[in-house]
Amino acid sequence: MDMDFPDLQELEWLEANNSNFQDDVDFDLDFPPEPPSPPSELEPLRDSPEPKIPSFKPTLSLPPKPSPIKTQTNLKKRFRPDLSPDLIDRGDGRPTGDPEEKRSRVDNADDEEDEDWLRYHPPRPVAGNVDAGVAMSESEEVEERVLSRYATEIDGDYLPITGLDGERVYAKICGVECEDRVKKLDMRGDHNGLSREPIRVLMQRVEQGEFSKVSFLLGLMFLDIFKDCRVSQQFYYSTNLMKEENVRHRKEYNIFSLSSDNAESHDVDTQKCPLSLTSPKLVLATSSHGRFVLFLSIRENVALQASVEVENDVNLSPAPVDPEQLWVDKYAPNTFMELLSDEHTNREVLLWLKQWDSSVFGSEIKSTADDTLSALKRHSSAVKHSKFHARNSFGSNRETKLSKENFRTHNYQNQEKNQSNDIQEMWEKKQKTVGHPEQKILLLCGPPGLGKTTLAHVAARHCGYRVVEINASDDRSASTIETKILDVVQMNSVVSDSKPKCLIIDEIDGALGEGKGAVDVILKMVSAERKSDSGKEIRGQEEHSGPRSSKKQKNTSLLRPVICICNDLYAPVLRPLRQVAKVQSFVQPTVNRVVNRLKYICNKEGVKTNSISLTALAEYTGVFHIHFLFSILKQLLITWKKIIFTKYIFHSFCAINFYFILITAFSPPAFQKECDIRSCLNTLQFLNKKKEALNMLEISSQVVGRKDASKSALDIWKEVFQKRRVKRERQCMNILNNMTNELEFLLSLISNRGDYDLIYDGIHENILRLHYYDPVMQKTVKCLDNLEVSDIINKYIMRTQQMSLQVYQPQVAMIIHGLIAQVDRLNIEWPKSFQRYRTVSLEKMDILRSWQIKISPHISRHLSTKSFAEELISPFLHILSPPTLKPVALHLQSEKEKADLAQLVNTMVSYALNYKNLQSGPLFGGPRHEDVLEGSLLSFDPPIEDFIKFKGYSSCHFVLASAVKQLLVHEVRKENLSSQSPRSCMGIATVKKQTSAKNISLQVQNGLSMVQPLTKEASTLETASGKVRLPEKTRKLLSSSNFFDRFRKVKSDGSENVNQNVQASETAERDLRPLLFKFNEGFTNAVKRPVRIRDFFL
Amino acid sequence: MLWVDKYRPKTLDKVLVHKEVAENLKKLVTEQDCPHLLFYGPSGSGKKTLIMALLRQMFGPSSDKVKVENKTWKVEAGTRTLDIELTTLLSTHHVEMNPADAGFQDRYVVQEIIKEMAKNRPLDAKGKKGFKVLVLNEVDRLSREAQHSLRRTMEKYSSSCRLILCCNSSSKVSEAVRSRCLNVRISAPTEDEMVRVLEFIGKKEGLQLPPGFAARIAEKSNRSLRRAILLFETCRVQQYPFTNNQAIPPMDWEEYVSEIASDIMKEQSPKRLFQVRGKLYELLTNCIPPEIILKRLLYELLKKLDSELKHEVSYWAAYYEHRMRLGQKAIFHLEAFVAKFMSIYKGFLISTFG
Repeated sequence: MDMDFPDLQELEWLEANNSNFQDDVDFDLDFPPEPPSPPSELEPLRDSPEPKIPSFKPTLSLPPKPSPIKTQTNLKKRFRPDLSPDLIDRGDGRPTGDPEEKRSRVDNADDEEDEDWLRYHPPRPVAGNVDAGVAMSESEEVEERVLSRYATEIDGDYLPITGLDGERVYAKICGVECEDRVKKLDMRGDHNGLSREPIRVLMQRVEQGEFSKVSFLLGLMFLDIFKDCRVSQQFYYSTNLMKEENVRHRKEYNIFSLSSDNAESHDVDTQKCPLSLTSPKLVLATSSHGRFVLFLSIRENVALQASVEVENDVNLSPAPVDPEQLWVDKYAPNTFMELLSDEHTNREVLLWLKQWDSSVFGSEIKSTADDTLSALKRHSSAVKHSKFHARNSFGSNRETKLSKENFRTHNYQNQEKNQSNDIQEMWEKKQKTVGHPEQKILLLCGPPGLGKTTLAHVAARHCGYRVVEINASDDRSASTIETKILDVVQMNSVVSDSKPKCLIIDEIDGALGEGKGAVDVILKMVSAERKSDSGKEIRGQEEHSGPRSSKKQKNTSLLRPVICICNDLYAPVLRPLRQVAKVQSFVQPTVNRVVNRLKYICNKEGVKTNSISLTALAEYTGVFHIHFLFSILKQLLITWKKIIFTKYIFHSFCAINFYFILITAFSPPAFQKECDIRSCLNTLQFLNKKKEALNMLEISSQVVGRKDASKSALDIWKEVFQKRRVKRERQCMNILNNMTNELEFLLSLISNRGDYDLIYDGIHENILRLHYYDPVMQKTVKCLDNLEVSDIINKYIMRTQQMSLQVYQPQVAMIIHGLIAQVDRLNIEWPKSFQRYRTVSLEKMDILRSWQIKISPHISRHLSTKSFAEELISPFLHILSPPTLKPVALHLQSEKEKADLAQLVNTMVSYALNYKNLQSGPLFGGPRHEDVLEGSLLSFDPPIEDFIKFKGYSSCHFVLASAVKQLLVHEVRKENLSSQSPRSCMGIATVKKQTSAKNISLQVQNGLSMVQPLTKEASTLETASGKVRLPEKTRKLLSSSNFFDRFRKVKSDGSENVNQNVQASETAERDLRPLLFKFNEGFTNAVKRPVRIRDFFL
Repeated sequence: MLWVDKYRPKTLDKVLVHKEVAENLKKLVTEQDCPHLLFYGPSGSGKKTLIMALLRQMFGPSSDKVKVENKTWKVEAGTRTLDIELTTLLSTHHVEMNPADAGFQDRYVVQEIIKEMAKNRPLDAKGKKGFKVLVLNEVDRLSREAQHSLRRTMEKYSSSCRLILCCNSSSKVSEAVRSRCLNVRISAPTEDEMVRVLEFIGKKEGLQLPPGFAARIAEKSNRSLRRAILLFETCRVQQYPFTNNQAIPPMDWEEYVSEIASDIMKEQSPKRLFQVRGKLYELLTNCIPPEIILKRLLYELLKKLDSELKHEVSYWAAYYEHRMRLGQKAIFHLEAFVAKFMSIYKGFLISTFG
């Protein structure tokens, strides 16, 4: 929702101008309003508005005193004729255009005002009003005397009206305050006149969500502004005038015009009414009574004013400040307008929250908006009409005014149109998104201390939610979080019957592990809602929408806005959340804004500066004058409700300038870089505690103000490698000092970060990319030596666990900084190579280790894992791929070749190697050897050839042809089977000697060479299992057993299933029928003959 | 089966290389007075072979029946319980392990596991109580704390347990441990010895060795017998009827290191250093121990270096190796050495050639 907030600059400008009026204001206060014309006739006629009129009269009527500045006098002169006659007698034809319009407007209002009034204030005692009104008029007539008398009157009144809330307070105030009594009394009159009834009603309505919070808030603000003092009113009034003259084309000032309207209580300066109407919020606020929007809002304001003032007075009159309170809390913004954060961000957040309105508050708002829109149009046209009418009827002795008026009206109408368009668009959009924003979670992120939490709270309250906060200090396990979120998001709480809740999860990135619970739960809910409506959701929905809106049934699980707040948007925990949430990142507020707020706080706390700051002021004011003056004023006005105004404001206006300097000169890291309001405030408070008066020197020498900033590692590397660009004048001042400062800064930076391992990895990674002059590489050597030192320290610390030694780590970086820091920018890369090296080498280590375990212990025990890579693999690869081995069928090979092959197979078996078909072969198998593509797909099973693949190095290893590899695969598999076979066989029965078959195939040699390992295998196995003792004889037999013996075992093992069957059948039906085993694997031309199964187990 | 394994002497009698040592060990065993032993010597010199043969001498062939056990030990360390996974090689009489594999927790391995093992005294079949032998590999990789705790264990359980420690460099074993052991230095075999072994293998395999061929292999093999035999077999596989000028294939990583060395010699600049770093990373990634890289690099550099620089460069190499030992991230130290070398070399070049 776009609200028209005052543009900062304009406001500042205004404020700047206003500051000139300080003196005048003083005068105004001193001198009573000269024209004491009580509109007594009107009083009996109208109930509510009347008391207001007199109450503000003194404010409006300006003293005849000539103001010191020319322009001001001008303004005032114009000002007076506008107002005072109007005040004196309304209803008479006025020559000025303004009163005319005003009047008509008021008249217009009067008709329905009565209705409103009746509606809102039925039980109000009329007598009190009248009384108040009379009192008011009296007070205007006779200044001091009336005052005192009136005070006593009030005191007298005090008792009977005690039943109502506010009255009691008045009495107190009267007791305490003397000088401000006039004003107070006036106000009081107001309060009396405007009952508190409407407040309640209004509040209720607000709570029901029929009122837009914005208007409420605006009202509040204005109330704040005008509540306590007339001075401010005059300020504002004059502001308005000036505005009219100079900045009419800016639309933002409607707030002020509205406020002035308010102040003058609708009989004065009605010309500004349309201004207030340009704010759509106000229109919305009044629900269906579009035409009397302004009126209502005014009344609302005044009514609220009453309540607020009551509170404030209660709070402040006895003890203005709680000295022990943290300034951070004390001056935390309470309203949307007070927020220091970026306007755009604020509005985005508000807009997002507002998009929930239709689903949360029901969809009445929509119709209301239409109503009000039309009403607004009607109203504006009516106003226009009336204006023209007025102009016609009364002629014009002030052409200028008229033309201005005309011009302005057009402006407003345009604005109105635009805004109504905006509203319509918004509503259309809203309807499209079915009641809630597209992204149901808002993720606020930004560095600490920028006011994220504050914004979330204020905005949520602003929009009518009750804030439920889960922060890092709460229990954040997934289960508790879930119930909590469900509670907030789906249920209607019984206690807070009217206000829906808004969940704020603070520091969502902060908690590890546990905090993830929250993210998960939220994600689950969001995704659940995305998918479809599960039972729970429907229930939740019904619960929710039942009492509230009967219109739409939305399948939502998240029915309430959830705002998540984090510092680091890119925390890994938040990765999933980032995708579904609307991310709003905070930018730092402008220094001025921060500075302004600080100044204001200084003022309020009565911190003083001395002359040194004053002299410095002259230099700075030229630049920031307008800015700071304005925002101070604004903030003062806004927060006045907390303190008694008069003393402070004048005091502070004088002091503001000093503080501005004070703060700008304060300390570079905290202010100019971070703009961390929180730390600023804390520092200020600290300083204040220490001494009442501050001066520049002290400030610059303060170390306290430094924020304990932990920066990201990238920033630190940048700081290390990059020299700060120092301004020339400073440079010539003192280089030495500068140097130490820089180093100190670096030291604190690095030690705050603490993650030295990462930092030095980064430095190491990037150091060689720098361009520094280093002919003999001495700098490089020094840098690397220092890195070594850090590494050694690190290891020592880790070994001995003496963490205190970590203190010495940052110095290394400082040395490096001193050696090679450059002025020019460089792109720093995140250190990946070391991590990569670590992971890859660990992987490879694992490969080696698992390989070593696979190799039979007789061989592997002689090798350490290291020596594999160091000594073994390289020659081993040569051995494994003999170039003499030809891809010929086995039976065509010569004896020697067969022997070689057998030897090779044996080696592979004993080293637990085999070829494996690589799945991803085509990817990198292709380019290597096109001709033996298939062969290159086959690679070693523990991928040992990877260990000699260095980047940029081509080894001269001979690669076997694919056919050979295939052959080897089969042979090795066969060998493996045969080496396993004794196990299974021995498990079943003792192997006995077989009749040796004469048929010796080519595998005989194989077999013979196998004998030795086989026996070993057998014996070890046997001892290990301890089951069966193999007689010495048998072993001998086995060792001398021929190929055929083994081969049969191969057969039996060849297929596991068969073997199983064998065992089963052995017991069941042993000799029943002969089983025929066929062992038909392609590579063997071995014997195929029918064998009885029992032959195996003889 | 590789020749390395095939022709490994199984008993002390058959040992070819360190005959005197073998004799002494045999005497120790026969005298039934076997102290703790510390074998040290470069890799490929035959430490493990001797230890295995010794075990066989002690316990007979049953010591060959070993099985691998990968066990997770639960160790109470103060308040928490640590799980340490360690692979051990067991026979009925001895246990082999590599405690340094436990990394930071090697201390607990030494304290707890060894203690526990040492406590369980094995009983002979004849009821005679024997002693167990504990073979600890790579003792020099043990942390100082582990070595300290080792020395107490050695004394306490000396009656039931004998430790055989095995390491490459005794300088990395603490003085206290060394003094409790009988130190057996297994020197790298001389080239003559290696030639003898190679010829023996050749004879067994029925190969014709041209004269001088075995010597060439021995020369290439950096006095590591394992390497020599592997190279020998490689040659045999690549081209059997040996020719006298047959190329002996180099180790791949050594080739790579020499590439690095020539890179360094060609240009000395941070940029080049950056490239060298990439290559060093490659080597490290492939599990080549950094000390060995440094040593080899020095060797390669010295080959190309002017003689007046050799001493200085060697000094710095030792310096950086020491620091590498103190530190964790080998790459820092390797790189620092390379930078130092570049600096020295460049300074030398400038001063010589202007």
